Amino acid sequence: MAYSEDHIALAAEYALGTLDADERTLVETLMAGDQDFTALVVAWEQKLGVLNQMVGSVEPRPEVWQKIRAAAGLSETQAPMLLPEAPPPMVASPTPAVAATDSTNVIRLSNRARRWRQVATLTTAIAAALVAMIAVGIYRPDMLPDQLRPKPRTQVVAIRTPAAPAAPDAQYVAVLQKDGGSPAFILTIDGATRNFTVRRIGAAAEPGKSFELWLISDKLPQPRSLGVIGAGDFTARPVLASYDAETVKAATYAVTIEQAGGSPDGKPTSTPVFAGKLIETVPPAAAPASSR
Amino acid sequence: MLTPAELVWLIAAIAKGDEAAFERLYAATRAKLFGVVLRILRRQDLAEEVIQEAYVKIWNSAGQFNPGLASPITWMASIARNRAIDVVRKRSEVSIEEEPAAMEVAADAPDPLARREMTEELKRLLECVGRLEPDRQKLVLLAYYNGWSREQLAAKFEAPVNTVKTWLRRSMMDIRECLGLG
Repeated sequence: MAYSEDHIALAAEYALGTLDADERTLVETLMAGDQDFTALVVAWEQKLGVLNQMVGSVEPRPEVWQKIRAAAGLSETQAPMLLPEAPPPMVASPTPAVAATDSTNVIRLSNRARRWRQVATLTTAIAAALVAMIAVGIYRPDMLPDQLRPKPRTQVVAIRTPAAPAAPDAQYVAVLQKDGGSPAFILTIDGATRNFTVRRIGAAAEPGKSFELWLISDKLPQPRSLGVIGAGDFTARPVLASYDAETVKAATYAVTIEQAGGSPDGKPTSTPVFAGKLIETVPPAAAPASSR
Repeated sequence: MLTPAELVWLIAAIAKGDEAAFERLYAATRAKLFGVVLRILRRQDLAEEVIQEAYVKIWNSAGQFNPGLASPITWMASIARNRAIDVVRKRSEVSIEEEPAAMEVAADAPDPLARREMTEELKRLLECVGRLEPDRQKLVLLAYYNGWSREQLAAKFEAPVNTVKTWLRRSMMDIRECLGLG
């Protein structure tokens, strides 16, 4: 179905998240009654959802899983599985500072805020459920049994892990950003050649200033310049070839603002404005979407 | 360390009621989803509630996941993020006593999913976002990452709400054209 630009904008802004509560309810009602519109919204969520790749991971507290189990009605007696990804209980998370702050927040807040939150959550849930039920009842009665369907219980399951595909030469990407803010540069490094490319996303250098890229490694006594980032959207350079692979992989990449043309003495003259570390990526061809 | 294909496989198992698969999916994705909602809600307690609701919804609606339409992690993140946005939109209508000190979300801790998912699609989208005027780029990214409302964006950009509304719409249409969406 062809949609008006208003509908398309509504779907896009729903996915972006900028609609107000009433408009969001409207979109959800439209989605419940119109599969094509749902597909439109999902397409936008998919297009924008790739942005989440750049959001840092934060470990929730272990109690969260217990609450999910209870709320989802999972069986009580299942022995905890030993999974590579499952954290040992109460072991420091990758972000200990955050975790420490969090538990005090939770204790302090839970008493004070629980009541209104419960009311708000309940009201929201009822409102959403009403809208959904009305919409589903009118447009798609066949969906109702599915939502009410009890889950069969399975106690013992063998999980087969697909063999990892043979890895071609890895690509490395670093998102250089400021204090977790919007990305400013994307640094891509080819694992085989160690050529790198810097793609400018946000910031433009002020007149008379240049952005300079630095490699910071605990194996090196001081930051090493990787050169000035050009004025265009792309800067590509082979200078990393002289560093060993471990250093390149483990380093922090930082951008400082220097005088036009770069730091005069090869040392940064200011603190980094953007920084990031490399993460490994698999080339698209090596990420099959359908293999089991 | 799960590939999108493995996640699809787990979701299919969950649709059949496989609790072990659900636990495995949770272990593989919880930190990413929690990072996404914590960034929007800025409060541990609210983020925990939202993540709980999101995973219960994932458990209940795994059968409706269509790998032809969405990638598994985006499908899950959208469920969590939509719930988080709903909460902040509804919350702005209720007066909140106080905000605890805003938590600093570690935004550069790479995780296994991010490694797998740093894709051509992301580069392409960022290229299109990058073609917007610098202010509009910030507008779109703040809206997406922080879940800000038009009112919050208007305050940040010192512009009337209606102007922000126009900017947002124009920006999304520009992105649409740049991406070649139908």
